[in-house]
Amino acid sequence: MQVSGPSQTVSALRSLLAARFPERTRRPCGGVSAAVRSVDDALGGGLPAGCLTELVSAVPSGGGQTVIAGLLSATQEARQRIALVDGSDGFAPEAVPADVLRHLVWVRCRAPEEALAAADILVRDGNYAAVVLDLRGCAERVLRRTPASSWYRLQRAAEGGTVAVLVQTPSALVPAVPWRLVLDTPLSLSDAGAPRRAVAARLAVRAERSHAQAEERLAG
Amino acid sequence: MTYAVLIVPDFALHALCRSDPSLRGRAVALVAGEGRRARVTEASPEARGVGPGLAATLAMSRCPGIALKPRDPGAEVEAHRLLVAAAFTLAPRVESTGAGCCTVDLRGADRARTEALMRLRVAELAQAGLPLRIGAGATPLLASYAARCAGPVLIVDDPEGFLRPLPLAFAEPTPGQQEILRGWGIGTLGALTALPKAEVGRRMGAEGALLWERAAGQSERVLRLVEPARSFAAEWAYEPPVESIEPLFFKLRRFAERIALELRGAGFVAEKLSLTLLLEDGTDYRREFRLPEPGANVEGWLRVLNSHLAAVRTDARIAGARLVAAPARPPERQEGLFDAGLKDPAAFWENLARVAAIVGDDRVGTPAPLDTHRPDAFVMERPAEAVAPPASAPVHSACGPTLRRFRPPWPVRVACEGGLPARLEGGRLEGRVRAALGPWLAAGDWWRPEAWAVETWQVELAAGGVYQLARSGAGWCVEGMLD
Repeated sequence: MQVSGPSQTVSALRSLLAARFPERTRRPCGGVSAAVRSVDDALGGGLPAGCLTELVSAVPSGGGQTVIAGLLSATQEARQRIALVDGSDGFAPEAVPADVLRHLVWVRCRAPEEALAAADILVRDGNYAAVVLDLRGCAERVLRRTPASSWYRLQRAAEGGTVAVLVQTPSALVPAVPWRLVLDTPLSLSDAGAPRRAVAARLAVRAERSHAQAEERLAG
Repeated sequence: MTYAVLIVPDFALHALCRSDPSLRGRAVALVAGEGRRARVTEASPEARGVGPGLAATLAMSRCPGIALKPRDPGAEVEAHRLLVAAAFTLAPRVESTGAGCCTVDLRGADRARTEALMRLRVAELAQAGLPLRIGAGATPLLASYAARCAGPVLIVDDPEGFLRPLPLAFAEPTPGQQEILRGWGIGTLGALTALPKAEVGRRMGAEGALLWERAAGQSERVLRLVEPARSFAAEWAYEPPVESIEPLFFKLRRFAERIALELRGAGFVAEKLSLTLLLEDGTDYRREFRLPEPGANVEGWLRVLNSHLAAVRTDARIAGARLVAAPARPPERQEGLFDAGLKDPAAFWENLARVAAIVGDDRVGTPAPLDTHRPDAFVMERPAEAVAPPASAPVHSACGPTLRRFRPPWPVRVACEGGLPARLEGGRLEGRVRAALGPWLAAGDWWRPEAWAVETWQVELAAGGVYQLARSGAGWCVEGMLD
């Protein structure tokens, strides 16, 4: 007698989904190194191309800007182009070496709506290896009002492309994001004199949720 | 083929329709004369039962809803300039033969390339609202016969075979000549040229011999050449002035099409576009658009212009506009094996223009720090076409967490103990200072009125977070977070 329990049904469903939608269970290939070991390790080698990665700065001085600086230097070394859509106009050009700015397209926004609209255009462009949408510093009340459809639209825009999209947020915002990392250990003043590479190496990142990993598990 | 003739049938009608979007797809007829004497001169295919010579009143009764319009000289001039521009893309020796007609001297032109160009121009002008026909032959006259029969391009390699079935009317006989020839039973060019020229001349005189030559397509003449355009501009007016952007887009496209063809005919591309909106109140709104990828692609221009115009608000209605293209030689670029240039330059610059339309032109670009110690001093530059290879490692590598600025800085009160910041109060950031580093003193531009001096501190709050404070004549402020 053949037993058809719930586990077998779920397993069959997983197999069916994996066969029908192979692109949903495929781990994104390629990627852009953030030059921050903990971030690259958590993402399996760098920011995955073709999908969104959310980096939540849960504490002040969590290191989000150091991750951006790392991305700038890594993309410059790889001679790739990067766009920074700065939701609250917080990027400080003098804080990074001038040499790593020459491949950067910086969009200085005044409101999250502007930032999302600009990111929506740049993600579809095809000339960028990475697009960073930095929404830290924007009023969280306004960010919470962002309709989920805006995020899904951004995800659809990134899908199938070669651009890695990093969304920096003050709290978890992006629904159904494939990768969400959290910076929850603040840097201290003792880090001020350390070389930036050493500061980046000390950044602690926690993978809070990973839909991509869940999908891999789903695929067995 | 030695000559080509470009003609637009019903030129005045098409010129009018391409200048007025409301006439698109409608039954339209051009009328000449006034009152009861008004007669239709040209009619669109939609105007069924209406043809040249019909009284305007009869046209209205036969085709209800027909738009009866007088000729628009301005639209005809613009359409003819477009036609001349198209002719210049075939060869540099062009005659403006008449309204809606150009003759081009093709001697020395490569046949295959010229034929491909002819078909391309036909397609482009059809998009621009002018159904162009091109004929080519050994003489200007033969080319003009070919153009009248073309659908839409006809190159005559066998003149006798081509002319034989054509009606006699092509050679434009006088009514008297027509009657004589009809009496002889001659109704085609081939039938006339079958007779010996000398015999025709003996019976019909010198005029008859000329008619025979025209029937044989042998009539040679010297072309009255025109100069190619030297300025690439268009200006137009709206009467009455317009309030919405759609009429502007429509005209912009029409004039951009002509300017782009003129540029191509002269071997140029546009490097920069300048658009001026002439407003009803006498003021104007002027913007320049540098095209990072110089080109003569109308769609590319329009995407740049439209992205900007969609966000433009003016204080008064638009009474006119002027579009000027700055010519440049086409870029010739050989990509290097290790170049890291743009994959799609057109998309890159168009998208930047779209983003600039959202956030403002001065807020998109590549930042370049200025050569000063003044805080937050940088300029926004145009992004580079290619990503340069990394420079050698700097002597002083970057240290510490990266600053994220608060723009504008947050004013704060700082309580000091022993000369060090001890507590932040009364601002968006408050709390006890756990540790502080500083001060770093900087000053500059002391020889100018805008002299500045600032004292910078880095503090770590007991509640967490490392911040950069600045103290100047205006007091303390939080410049940003070290993140």
